[in-house]
Amino acid sequence: MDSPRFADAPGVGWPPMPVKIVIAGGFGVGKTTAVAQVSETPVLTTEAPITEIAAAIDRAEEVPEKTTTTVALDFGRITIDDEIKLYLFGTPGQDRFGFMWRDLTEGALGALIIADSRRLDDSFAAVDYFERAEIPFVVGVNLFDGVARHELADVRWALAIPDDVPLITFDARDRGSVLDALLAVLNHSLSRVT
Amino acid sequence: MVADSPPPYAAQSGADEPGDPRSWDRDKPRPRISGVRPYLLTHGRVRPFNAAVLNVAAQVMTTWEGRTAYGRLSYEHRDIVALCVHPVSVAEIAAHLHLHLGVARVLVADMVALGYLVVRGLEVPVNQKSVVIERVIRGLTAIR
Repeated sequence: MDSPRFADAPGVGWPPMPVKIVIAGGFGVGKTTAVAQVSETPVLTTEAPITEIAAAIDRAEEVPEKTTTTVALDFGRITIDDEIKLYLFGTPGQDRFGFMWRDLTEGALGALIIADSRRLDDSFAAVDYFERAEIPFVVGVNLFDGVARHELADVRWALAIPDDVPLITFDARDRGSVLDALLAVLNHSLSRVT
Repeated sequence: MVADSPPPYAAQSGADEPGDPRSWDRDKPRPRISGVRPYLLTHGRVRPFNAAVLNVAAQVMTTWEGRTAYGRLSYEHRDIVALCVHPVSVAEIAAHLHLHLGVARVLVADMVALGYLVVRGLEVPVNQKSVVIERVIRGLTAIR
């Protein structure tokens, strides 16, 4: 198989270049809502069996083969231009789903961690993960009811977010606001490219 | 090898027989995830041959060989060949065909090995990463 070259437009028969942004956060925090605002397709769902995803990491033998539990992954798509397609993957943010993050986050341009200021604990594992994985991320406090319940400085302190990580507020129900949050992720990722 | 020996799962997929690939309706909702056990769909294989290439967002596209072989393929392979005439991600294949993500990956990996599909992963050369990010920024700004 020929190796693709970015500088050359893909010829007939060569797939477009996929890029990915991960949307992380706890249940009910607005991940799927955010994806739905900007995706050009209805939000798609695929079921990822836990055994399969767990097999992608090192401790597969600790997971019983007969496990049939599945995790639903919601995702959407935005065609950027003739060649690039952007995928947005919503990733369960809790600690107990940590086993699947590596699989889903590999190759991501960056991540948006959505935080609910009423349940900041749900976001802590995600912040920790993306920091360790050295994937550029932005923390977006979803403005439920249009009001941030904590000052952003308090959120930064509570989640131990490094000073150089952008912390923003946005509304997952508002298309423009979600696009702005994604642009914040990309601008941060761009600043991290050496 | 697929054409020579009908796979054991073919009979279980009869109700899901694909139509003409040219009239494939990718947005048509289907009722539920297939209840067929993954090992049946994948001949006992549980790992794709190259998991690194098969990122959930990796783009999958049908080759000329895949189109040519369509009539000889098993139902699951036909579904994928028809769907991927327009390139889609591994995750979209799983979602549209109601396959578990892991099953979709193994099937795609097998079909790449058979020459029916090509895959483009997420690898971006380091020296082009900023160019790619800038293009995505421009694209999102344009629809803002």
